Amino acid sequence: MLGYLLFSGVTTGALYALVALGIVVVFKATAIVNFAHGELFMIGGFLAYTLHVMLGLPYVPSLALAVACTFLVGMATDRIAFRPLMKSNMVALVLATVGFSFVLKGIGRSIWGGRGDYLPFPPLVGFDPIILPGDIVIVPQQLVVLIGALAVMVVFAAFFRLTRIGRMMQATADNPKAATLVGIRTDRIYMMTFAVGGAVAAAAAALMAPLTLLYPDIGFSLFIKGFAAAVLGGLASLPGAVIGGIGVGVIEALAGGYIHTSFLDVSAFVVIMAVLVLKPTGLLGGARLRRV
Amino acid sequence: MTATRLGFALLLGVAVSAPAIAQAPGVTKDTIKIGSFGPLTGPSYLYGKLVMNGIDVVFDEVNAAGGVHGRKLVLVREDDKCNAEGGIAAVKKLIHQEQVFLIHGGGCSNAAIAARDEVEKAKTPWVVFAAVADSVSAPVAPNIYTTALYASLESVAQLQFALDKGAKKIAIVSMRDAWGRQRYEPMVAAVKAKGITLVADEELTPDANDATPQALKLKAAGADAVLMVLYPKPAAVFLRDAWKLGYKPILVGQTAISDPAAFEEQVAVPGATVNFSTISMVKYVPDDPAVEKWRKLVEAKFPGDRLSTFNLFGVGSAKVVVEALKKAGPELTQARFLKALGELENFDAEMFGAPITCKTPDHRCNKAPAWLKKDPGGPTKVLGVTKVAM
Repeated sequence: MLGYLLFSGVTTGALYALVALGIVVVFKATAIVNFAHGELFMIGGFLAYTLHVMLGLPYVPSLALAVACTFLVGMATDRIAFRPLMKSNMVALVLATVGFSFVLKGIGRSIWGGRGDYLPFPPLVGFDPIILPGDIVIVPQQLVVLIGALAVMVVFAAFFRLTRIGRMMQATADNPKAATLVGIRTDRIYMMTFAVGGAVAAAAAALMAPLTLLYPDIGFSLFIKGFAAAVLGGLASLPGAVIGGIGVGVIEALAGGYIHTSFLDVSAFVVIMAVLVLKPTGLLGGARLRRV
Repeated sequence: MTATRLGFALLLGVAVSAPAIAQAPGVTKDTIKIGSFGPLTGPSYLYGKLVMNGIDVVFDEVNAAGGVHGRKLVLVREDDKCNAEGGIAAVKKLIHQEQVFLIHGGGCSNAAIAARDEVEKAKTPWVVFAAVADSVSAPVAPNIYTTALYASLESVAQLQFALDKGAKKIAIVSMRDAWGRQRYEPMVAAVKAKGITLVADEELTPDANDATPQALKLKAAGADAVLMVLYPKPAAVFLRDAWKLGYKPILVGQTAISDPAAFEEQVAVPGATVNFSTISMVKYVPDDPAVEKWRKLVEAKFPGDRLSTFNLFGVGSAKVVVEALKKAGPELTQARFLKALGELENFDAEMFGAPITCKTPDHRCNKAPAWLKKDPGGPTKVLGVTKVAM
């Protein structure tokens, strides 16, 4: 049983990690939590569904196009919910993202909601189980999710370290005023940040949709888990988001398997609270910085 | 003097009966206005619009034959959007603005529960057609009856079905929100009443994306029947994970998963639903030749629609309402309608698992859930009916 639970926990945790990455990348740059991030996941998933199931495009091009479209929706998040209120207080900014999340959910419901409570998404490979060493049975899509999530994380890391725009995003996240002083267009960087967050959300959705099934309310429930993972790992730490996500997934699976299934949802939050009591900035969060 | 007395008696008779007719809202010389509420839009329209479409074709048939005691039946629809505030607004409009004679509706339980106070206060007769929550029809109200099944009955029926199939080790997997608890608690009570010990009792949340722990535990417990108190989405996740683990118990659903064919499509894993059976409020599937007449009527009146199970809910329930209206007589009042409805016994409404009896203390007229199963690649079939003594 342990093998099954660990594998299932790591697979779900990879999903949470991808959601958390999108939350953290926006938080690092803008110091706000984008409450519309869950709905970006939902929109990305449904776009992939439309392309792959309704229009018949192959899986990989559908995933790529969904990521590209949600990248644009992420830009819209910046333009509509963040940019107009940049100089406002934090509460206004957060409320704007909450409001935008409702707008996206309404759009999702009106376009796809009438098709049924939830929609199946065909997997990249068939559903016939694979038996791993130790007699652990998995479905191939779980491997696709793990490999896909790893690939996204590697691309993400490479983007930040190796590309000019990635380094500019890092610089803006570290010190927006200094970044402006050296000529970085921080307004465009913020837009790119939201866009990249959306793209990661869409990638997560398209990978996970064959396992989770799609429905218009999926965004908020995954956002909460992703946010919990980001808090556990450290809201300003990208590696922390990954560790936090995997951690939340594994804790849930083990609690459900060894304590009781009614503890599944709450267990991760109990652990997070315990971690935050001991280390308020999260597992990999650094010391609090005061920007001057 | 005799003529005077006779004239006076006639005048007295008119004076006594006229107010009764004048006081009945929604009733004219030629029409009876019947209000209906339920979701007309959104994914839950199945439980509202489609049921009302079934009612409509029954009313058309009755009207074509001259109506009920010469009065044509007019259906007025309100959209409650399957939420509580929508339910309240809809019944208020039907009662106070449209002034309907009776309400024949209630598709979503949350809307129906919210609307109940208003309908009870107004004393408008209400025949519930699809909402299954226990608290829609309990506690008993003099003006509220239901032709729908109800949650605690379904829970008992699920257990009975598993036992009838020869299951020896029973397990439950359930949601524990308000919806789930109103089914889970009667189910557990029924299990205890039969002296059975559950081999596993697991919880699954409505937005679960993985049910591996639940499936593993049920498999480890050796459960040969799993009673599912789940919405379709977590049920689909559970079936997929159970199938992945090679775990194939008898899987017993309820009316939240009322269409095995749609559920099979949504699970989308070949063979995962082979042992799945679920409850239906009606004893026919849409492609049964016995309902060919209703198929033609529905598809003629609503072009583009195909006959669905939910249309058949409406057909059966409308026949009950029409029968009560007939028995209430031409001097129609709400009190007479309720009396006639409350005296209805063994009435064959054609659609339900057993003849309808509203002459029960609990005003719940339908206690015979039917069972549906779909073999992979094959049609949905009706397995039989469970008569639950409650």
